[in-house]
Amino acid sequence: MVVGTNLASRFFLFTALLFAAPISFADSEHDSDLIAELISLRSAADSGVIRLDDDGVSRFLTSVSTPRPYSLIIFFDAVDLHSKSEFRLVELRREFEIVSASFIANNNGSDVTKLFFCEIDSTHSAASFHRFAVESLPHICLVDPWMDNLQDESGQMERGDFEGLAESMAEFVERRTKLTVGPIHRPPLLSKTQIAIITALIVISIPILIKKVLKGETLLHDHRVWLSGAVFVYFFSVAGTMHNIIRKVPMFLRDHEDPSNIVFFYGDSEFQLGTEGFAVGFLYTVVGLILAYVTNALVVYLDNWKTGYEIHPYWPSSWH
Amino acid sequence: MAALESPPPGTPSAMRHAFGSVLSALILLLIGVLAFSIRLFSVIKYESVIHEFDPYFNYRVTQFLSKNGIYEFWNWFDDRTWYPLGRVIGGTVYPGLTLTAGTIWWVLNSLNIPLSVETVCVFTAPVFSAFASWATYLLTKEVKGSGAGLAAAALLAMVPSYISRSVAGSYDNEAVAIFALIFTFYLYIKTLNTGSLFYATLNAIAYFYMVCSWGGYTFIINLIPMHVLLCIVTGRYSPRLYIAYAPLVVLGTLLAALVPVVGFNAVLTSEHFASFLVFIIIHVIALVYYIKGILSPKMFKVAVTLVVSIGLVVCFIVVAVLVALVASSPTKGWSGRSLSLLDPTYASKYIPIIASVSEHQPPTWPSYFMDINVLAFLVPAGIVACFSPLSDASSFVVLYIVMSVYFSGVMVRLMLVLAPAACIMSGIALSQAFDVFTASIKYHLSGSSNSKDDAEDKTSTNNASKDDGSAGKTDKGEESAKERSSRKGKKKEREPADKPSVKSKIVKKKALVLPFEASIVALLLLIMLGAFYVIHCVWAAAEAYSAPSIVLTSQSRDGLHVFDDFRESYAWLSHNTDVDDKVASWWDYGYQTTAMANRTVIVDNNTWNNTHIATVGTAMSSPEKAAWEIFNSLDVKYVLVVFGGLIGYPSDDINKFLWMVRIGGGVFPHIKEADYLRDGQYRIDSEATPTMLNCLMYKLSYYRFVETDGKGFDRVRRTEIGKKNFKLTHFDEVFTSHHWMVRIYKLKPQKNRIRGRAKKLKLKTSSSKSAKKNPWI
Repeated sequence: MVVGTNLASRFFLFTALLFAAPISFADSEHDSDLIAELISLRSAADSGVIRLDDDGVSRFLTSVSTPRPYSLIIFFDAVDLHSKSEFRLVELRREFEIVSASFIANNNGSDVTKLFFCEIDSTHSAASFHRFAVESLPHICLVDPWMDNLQDESGQMERGDFEGLAESMAEFVERRTKLTVGPIHRPPLLSKTQIAIITALIVISIPILIKKVLKGETLLHDHRVWLSGAVFVYFFSVAGTMHNIIRKVPMFLRDHEDPSNIVFFYGDSEFQLGTEGFAVGFLYTVVGLILAYVTNALVVYLDNWKTGYEIHPYWPSSWH
Repeated sequence: MAALESPPPGTPSAMRHAFGSVLSALILLLIGVLAFSIRLFSVIKYESVIHEFDPYFNYRVTQFLSKNGIYEFWNWFDDRTWYPLGRVIGGTVYPGLTLTAGTIWWVLNSLNIPLSVETVCVFTAPVFSAFASWATYLLTKEVKGSGAGLAAAALLAMVPSYISRSVAGSYDNEAVAIFALIFTFYLYIKTLNTGSLFYATLNAIAYFYMVCSWGGYTFIINLIPMHVLLCIVTGRYSPRLYIAYAPLVVLGTLLAALVPVVGFNAVLTSEHFASFLVFIIIHVIALVYYIKGILSPKMFKVAVTLVVSIGLVVCFIVVAVLVALVASSPTKGWSGRSLSLLDPTYASKYIPIIASVSEHQPPTWPSYFMDINVLAFLVPAGIVACFSPLSDASSFVVLYIVMSVYFSGVMVRLMLVLAPAACIMSGIALSQAFDVFTASIKYHLSGSSNSKDDAEDKTSTNNASKDDGSAGKTDKGEESAKERSSRKGKKKEREPADKPSVKSKIVKKKALVLPFEASIVALLLLIMLGAFYVIHCVWAAAEAYSAPSIVLTSQSRDGLHVFDDFRESYAWLSHNTDVDDKVASWWDYGYQTTAMANRTVIVDNNTWNNTHIATVGTAMSSPEKAAWEIFNSLDVKYVLVVFGGLIGYPSDDINKFLWMVRIGGGVFPHIKEADYLRDGQYRIDSEATPTMLNCLMYKLSYYRFVETDGKGFDRVRRTEIGKKNFKLTHFDEVFTSHHWMVRIYKLKPQKNRIRGRAKKLKLKTSSSKSAKKNPWI
């Protein structure tokens, strides 16, 4: 939010400047001003994605006569929908940022001023949503220099184009604008120093680990670890957790007729809810453990049964 | 088998031993009878007939084998299927099942017992179920003694999961493979316990039989190395482990490569790499122990650093080579099915043909209750029992249950591999619980009659084999003490600590025995649990898993209805079409068509060529004319569709249709799933999309359907169909079975093109609408 207000105040500053200036600027000068403004906005923003509001849209798009000297690619965001994972807004926005950052990093010449990555948020800029006729999210659209009618669907990125995430977004941009985005730079999972530290730790710990293994003092030699691991895997599987992961099953459902009523058990043997699976899996496991407790922990007698065998040559000893 | 160290003859304990052996043998015989007879419900309720889809293929192969002999079978190129590609049967089937049944048939015939090939095929699975339960007895006996073995064998004889794949008539690979799986594991444990090369060799041969029988052999060749690795990591390495593992890898891999369908895959694919990696590791470890044996402790400390570092370097090099090899292949050397086990979301994302099969879906908790029933409750107790004490053998079964339960969670089909493990675990748990409860009751009963010594005697005879085993061990244990590892040494330290308490056993037991009433109640509860299991299994065998799915029945108010439409239609095909005619249908019915109608099919249940299947899927999803062109290009004369709308048979082609679209669209992008869905919903009523209403599958399924009841009400989808009155332009209906379940259409022949006539026709018919649609009239 701090960034947002900061940006908004910048906008006011720019608008003030604009109105204070004489209106009789030559077109080209006006264009280069707009570009300079966009560049400065971009350099202020994270990974170069400019946050536009209603004023920004009118300033950079509607009030500029075509052909505009730049293309804008706009990501329509809705902060209040970020919590809903089915829209994948957070994920797509991250990918959008990656494309933007890669574009800026890969292009140094004049190309970099021809395309700007922007985003519009529904909470602050509902009018722009209306202006672009955005009905559903996720929605990404490219406004090329000749586009007059913002409701034109030709610039809209199709669902297939953001399925493959950053790579296919970049492909879309390259196809439409004839600009090159270049290789996508994804931030590595671990930074170089982290990797170095981890390898150093592993290298240091290997001799210690080997010594421990040879002495037989690791966690691996503790039966209780293996026992609890085995029982956990059992619980995990009989609870149908894999089913829940693959099918992305919710933990519980709300009743259609009465939303306050929560449904935990689904009336179909081919399908189950998360809680349902865990409850029954827990039951499966606990009954067995109780039986084990009764037979093993309550009654202790010495079980000396072991494999009383020795090594001998080819034929079983009982055959001699 | 029961007595390894038999006590001197004449003593009461020897008598008891002999009696126990005879009783065990009798019980095992009865278990075998139970396993066989519980699987006969399908024969009694229906008839002696081969079931479902794949068994028909196996039956056809067995017929070929018994008629033409093994060499012809080995070189068999089948031109009746996958037209025009054909299929090399000899090199692409697992021959174990076919060879087994063929051999049984041959032996019976040479004994002048004239059974038909079909009868032998029908009863192969029940016979092998009996073998499997005996193998389970042997395996569990190696782990926890005869009592647990008998319990496990009885449980396995009737576990529903296994029944579902081995009822009489279910003539599929799994029928013999489960026996082979358990028997291989038994021989592995036996070798591990005895250190005998004899059993190691047998183990490799059993593994060979398993490789012959089922693709699931990769489970063995990954599970056993994992166990070996586990033993090494937890410091349980012993020469016995080496003898159990090294011959298996060497001989087993050589033998596996002899099976044509495996061939060089036995050394080339990633499924087998784990075993080679562990093979190297166990040699490194063996070297370490050898050097430790010949060096003084001081020298050893120096040597250990040297050897371990060299070993590590070798391992790293091998791993690097393997990684490089694996990374160079596109699927990283893994087949799609095994990849979907490691990454369960893999198949649903990338391979619709694997994801489309219902037995590849992940199961829910009701599946576990249905398939292993009360065993699901007993398994955790079995796991705990295996940890007290943890031996090499018991750690193996723990690993087995853990791996199989995880894999069964990914694919419901692998519940079959879980079932034996669950039976072994539950058998151990049950036998241990019975041991404890009955011993407590005996103690209390005898305690009241003041004969404590007698009670003690009885309880200890319960563990007779255990005491004998430990006694034998202490004698020989000292000799081999030097050979044993430091881990073993640690264990031996524990043993003397245990020894004094043997004397104080009586005191200890008295203090810790369960209260009388509690034991009685627990015993009753366990018996009830067991009884419920038996009831459930018999119900599952009789009601749920015995349907042959080739003959259907339904019980209604006016009595039993039998739907024998499939065989009716296949018989029609074989009697009314030319022997070389090609029949197109969805791949599910390929095996049945070749086996029962003896007609050439385009695709069948061996889904080896995705493009070919996609072609058929595309034809089914296309409008009539385009479909006609596709089928005509494949020389197809007849198209067969299965339709359940009239009688309410749910697994018909309309319900499978979306998969045809998906698989077709995967190869031919002009077929889009969205075109067949209205707002994401699959429907066939008046709201359905025009693409759906005009595709071939819709038309062939619902052609003339409105004539049956005047409304065209589909009983499976529970709705009136969208397009009711339409004519077919490129297909002729030639056969519809009694209950409309199978409908066969013939492609209309293409008329000769006569230039003048066509022109004339065009002029003549330009006014009439119906003829205009059809260029073939």
